[in-house]
Amino acid sequence: MKISLRRKNEVHIFDLDGEVDFHTSPELRAQLLKAIEQQSSRILINLKKVSYIDSSGLATFVEALQKSKRANSRIVLAQLESAVRSVFEIARLDGVFSLADSEDEALDMLSRSDTR
Amino acid sequence: MEQEFDLEAEANHVTLFRRDLRALLLANQLDEKAANEVILAVNEVLTNCIRHAYRGKGGKIKVIFQDLPDQVRILVRDYGPKFDPTQKPDPELPPQKPGGLGIYLVRQLMDEVQYNAKWTGGNELQLLKYKCHEAGDKRLKHGG
Repeated sequence: MKISLRRKNEVHIFDLDGEVDFHTSPELRAQLLKAIEQQSSRILINLKKVSYIDSSGLATFVEALQKSKRANSRIVLAQLESAVRSVFEIARLDGVFSLADSEDEALDMLSRSDTR
Repeated sequence: MEQEFDLEAEANHVTLFRRDLRALLLANQLDEKAANEVILAVNEVLTNCIRHAYRGKGGKIKVIFQDLPDQVRILVRDYGPKFDPTQKPDPELPPQKPGGLGIYLVRQLMDEVQYNAKWTGGNELQLLKYKCHEAGDKRLKHGG
């Protein structure tokens, strides 16, 4: 999986490309936790090019979400493919994470104060 | 048709095996959605072998793929200490902590999951997926 990081105003945007699984999630975990520790208050994770996620990937996002809440930062996941979204739904995580259909919607959610 | 795969219990081998499995499933009358479900379920079982049966220290895994008229059946064998994952209770949902979703996903994604307690070589898990929803619905109606 390729992980690219860019910044749009105050938002740190992670662009993921590939499969988020047992093999690749440790690197993603390290980068996400680093961003949270560096007090990135707004994090957008764009999953448009992620075709596959497993329970290790879900665990990575759950851990990042929990740590972000403790650090008073916010995370929005954007542009989930249907196969990826369905895995979140089976684990009932679609109601836990802020999910956006587009990057603009995700940026809008991050700009508002009521984002989970 | 039956096909056997001998895998090393390493994460990158699981990634590569998913490609082979996808090709097999699509060539054997499973649609894209069903194929994705089987691939994720098998992935979770293989990952459990790596993490729990072999504790990350490596080992051998055998996967046997069987194409039957109305279903695909997949046997996954490891040679680690006995552990029946089907006895694990469902996790609290949504999860309150990272992890613990693997076998839950397997149960949700497959039509049947059985642990073969009689196999003495280690652990053998059988995963079954019907090729069409009608077959799966019929099975549920008859409670079989």
